[in-house]
Amino acid sequence: MSEKNSTLNQRSAPRRAFVARGDSASILASSLFGALLAVVVAASVVWSLGTRRLDRALAARDGAQRTVALLTESALESLADPTPASLSSLRSLVVRVAADSGLESCSIALPDGTTIASSLPSQISHDSEEKVLAGSWQGSASGGANEATIGFFSVPTSVSISSGTMVPGRGEIRVHAQRLISSSWISSATPVYGTLGGGLVAAAGWAVVSWYYRRRTRALGAIQQALRAMDRGCDSASEASISDSFGAEAIAWNRLLAEHEELKESMLLSQSDGPAGGKIAATGDLGSACDALWLGLVILDSKLSIKYCNGAAAVLLRAKREEIVGQSMDEIVRDEAVSRTLESIASGKNRQRTSVESRQEAFANESSGRSGGVASAAILRFTARPLRRDESDSVMVIIEDITQQRIADESRNAFVAQASHELRTPLTSIRLYIETLLESGESDPALRSKCINVIGSEARRLERIVGDMLSVAEIEAGALKLRVGDVRLDALFEEIQNDYKIAAEDKEISLTFDLPPKYPVLQGDRDKLSLAIHNVIGNAIKYTPVGGKVTVTANETDGRFQVAVSDTGLGIKPEEQELIFEKFYRSKDKRVGTISGSGLGLALARDVIRLHGGDISVKSEIDRGSTFTIAVPLAVVQGQSMAA
Amino acid sequence: MDIQEQRQGAVTVIKPCGPLALGDADQFKATLLDAMSRSLGRLVIDATSMAYVDSRGLEVLVEASDEASQGGHALRVFGLNETVREVLELTDLSGKFEHFEDVTQAVRSYL
Repeated sequence: MSEKNSTLNQRSAPRRAFVARGDSASILASSLFGALLAVVVAASVVWSLGTRRLDRALAARDGAQRTVALLTESALESLADPTPASLSSLRSLVVRVAADSGLESCSIALPDGTTIASSLPSQISHDSEEKVLAGSWQGSASGGANEATIGFFSVPTSVSISSGTMVPGRGEIRVHAQRLISSSWISSATPVYGTLGGGLVAAAGWAVVSWYYRRRTRALGAIQQALRAMDRGCDSASEASISDSFGAEAIAWNRLLAEHEELKESMLLSQSDGPAGGKIAATGDLGSACDALWLGLVILDSKLSIKYCNGAAAVLLRAKREEIVGQSMDEIVRDEAVSRTLESIASGKNRQRTSVESRQEAFANESSGRSGGVASAAILRFTARPLRRDESDSVMVIIEDITQQRIADESRNAFVAQASHELRTPLTSIRLYIETLLESGESDPALRSKCINVIGSEARRLERIVGDMLSVAEIEAGALKLRVGDVRLDALFEEIQNDYKIAAEDKEISLTFDLPPKYPVLQGDRDKLSLAIHNVIGNAIKYTPVGGKVTVTANETDGRFQVAVSDTGLGIKPEEQELIFEKFYRSKDKRVGTISGSGLGLALARDVIRLHGGDISVKSEIDRGSTFTIAVPLAVVQGQSMAA
Repeated sequence: MDIQEQRQGAVTVIKPCGPLALGDADQFKATLLDAMSRSLGRLVIDATSMAYVDSRGLEVLVEASDEASQGGHALRVFGLNETVREVLELTDLSGKFEHFEDVTQAVRSYL
C-alpha cells in the first residue's frame, strides 16, 4: 500500500501554477476579506482627514467673525469723535489684528467705498481722512455676515466676513475680513497615524488568518476539485490524487484512492482469466450459488495455489476464507496423497477425475475456549479434475465431508462383526449341546437335563440379542414407536428383582433394592422401560466383580420417576463416559474385553428413555464403581410417543 | 442455563435446558458457534427442553443459522414446542432452519 501511495504521490507532484490546486477557495475568501479590510482602512483615513479639514474651515470662519466684531467695536469708539490721531490708531489696530489673526485682508470702509483703514495700506483711499474728519458721511453700507456653506465635502478655499454698523451721528461703516483656508487634504498626517497603525495590525492579522485558513482548506479544496473531476468522468487516480504536503486530509484521501485503485485492479484481474496465481472472484448469482453449496469448491492454479474457494471449503479446511486465497493447497491440507493427486492433475499427467480421502486432524489450537471441547478429526474426500479439458493450468477440487458416513460405515462393520460373534457364540453352544444330547442324552438323564437347560439359556440369550438388534434397527429406521399406557411400577420392579436375584447370588453380589412404599402412576411403554432398566441393572451385575455390591434406588422427584443403579464395579474412564452410550461401543478397558456384550444395551436404554422425554446419565470413578441414573417424566411429553 | 452437548457419531447435539432468553442467549451463542467450528458445521439443536425464546434468543438462532449457511448448511433443529414454532413462523424465520422430528433423523441427515 505504501508503495502504491508513493507511486501516486510521484505522479501527483504539485504542479507549478499561479494558483495552486485547492487554493482557489482560500484565495477567493482571503481576497474578499483583504479588500474589505482595505476599504475600511481607507474609509477611516478619508474620514479622519476630512474631519480635520472641516474643523480647520470652521475655526477660520469663527476667527474671522471674532476679528470683525472686535474691529467694529474699535471703529465705533474711534469714529464717534474722529481726530487724525484716533484714525491713525484705528488703522494701526487693523494692521495688527490682521497680522495677529492670520487674516488675508482686513478693512473698514465707508458706504461710498472709501477705505478708511486696511491691513494693506495701499488700499486706503487718499481722501479717506478728509471724509472722516468732515464729521459725517452719507450712504448705507451693504453687507452683513457673508458665510459660505461649509460641509464635509464642501470646504471653501477662503472665508470672508463683512459686517455693517452705524456710527451714531456720523454714518454707517462696513468692516470686512477675509481668511484663507487650506484646501489640502493632507495638511497634517498626525490624525491618520492611529488609523494606519490599526490598519497595519489588521493586515498582519489578515495575513496570518489567511495563511492558516489556506493551510486548513487547501486539502479540502483539492479534494472537492478532484471529486468534481471524477464526477465529470475523470477516472485516473493520478489526476485525482493530491500532494501529501497538504496535510492529514490529503494523506487520507490518497490512501482511499490507492485502495480504490487496488480494488479495481484486483477486480479486473479476477474478471479476466488472470495469470497463474491470480485470484478469482465469483460474484452475483454465481458467487451466491457457490457459497450455498454444502460441498467445498476450490480452484487451484498450476502451482497449487488457491485461486478461489467457496464458504463450505473454508469451513472444511478450517481456514478463514479471506486468508486462504493465495496460499498453497499443500500447506493447508498437509496430506501427501492429496498433494500427489493434485500435482498430477495440475501438471497434466492425469486428466481424469480422481478422488482421494484424507483424515484431517484438528490442530491443538482449535480446542474450544468455553466448553473445553476439542475439535474432532474429519474425514474429507477430495475429488479433483482439470478445470478445462483442453488446458492444464487450473484444477477444480470438490471437498466432501464424509466423516459421518465413515463413522456409520465403521458402526455397521462393527455391528456385523459383533453380531456375528454374539450370534455365533450361543449358536455354537446350542449346536454342541444338541450333538451331545443326540449322542448320549438318552442314556444319561442328568446330562440330558443339563443340555436342555443350557440350550434353553442360550436360546434366551439369542432371543435377547436378536431383540436388541431389531430395536436398534427400528431406531435407525425411525420406526420405533412407544405404546403408552399406565405402567405398574410395583409389578415391574418385582419382576426385575426376581430376574436378577439368581444372577447376583451366582456372583456373590449383594443386590439391594431401595424402593418406595408407594409408586406413582407412570405413563409410558412398559416393555421399553423394562428393557432400559434391565439393561442398566444387567450391566451393573455384569461389570461388578465377585463379592461386589449393586444398589437400585427408585423414587419420585419433581414429577419425574428416578431410578439410580449404583455398583462397586470396574468404573468408567471420564473420556468414555459419553461414548458408552453410542451403539456398539465397548470400553477400551482390557477387563471389559473379557466380558461378552453387544455394545447395544446402553444405547438402547438411552434412546428409549429419551423417547419418554427423560434422560440417562452416569457418574463413575475408575475401580470405585458407577452410578447410572434414569429420570423419566411421569407423563410422556407430548410429541415424544410417536417420535423415534 | 444448562447446555448439554453430546456427540452422535461425528455430529454434535446441543441441548439448551430452559428458555432461550436475554440472560442466557450469549452463553448459548458462544457454545453453539464453538461446537459448530469444532465439528465443521455438523450440528443439531435439541430444542425439546427449550420452553420459549425471546427476541435476543431469536437473534442468536439467526446468527448461528447465518454462520452455518457460510458452510452451505442450514441449522438443524428438532423438538421445537408449539410456542417456539409459532414464534418462528410469526417472525418468518422458520425457513432459516431445517426441522426434524427427532435426533435420529437430524443426525442421519448428515449421512
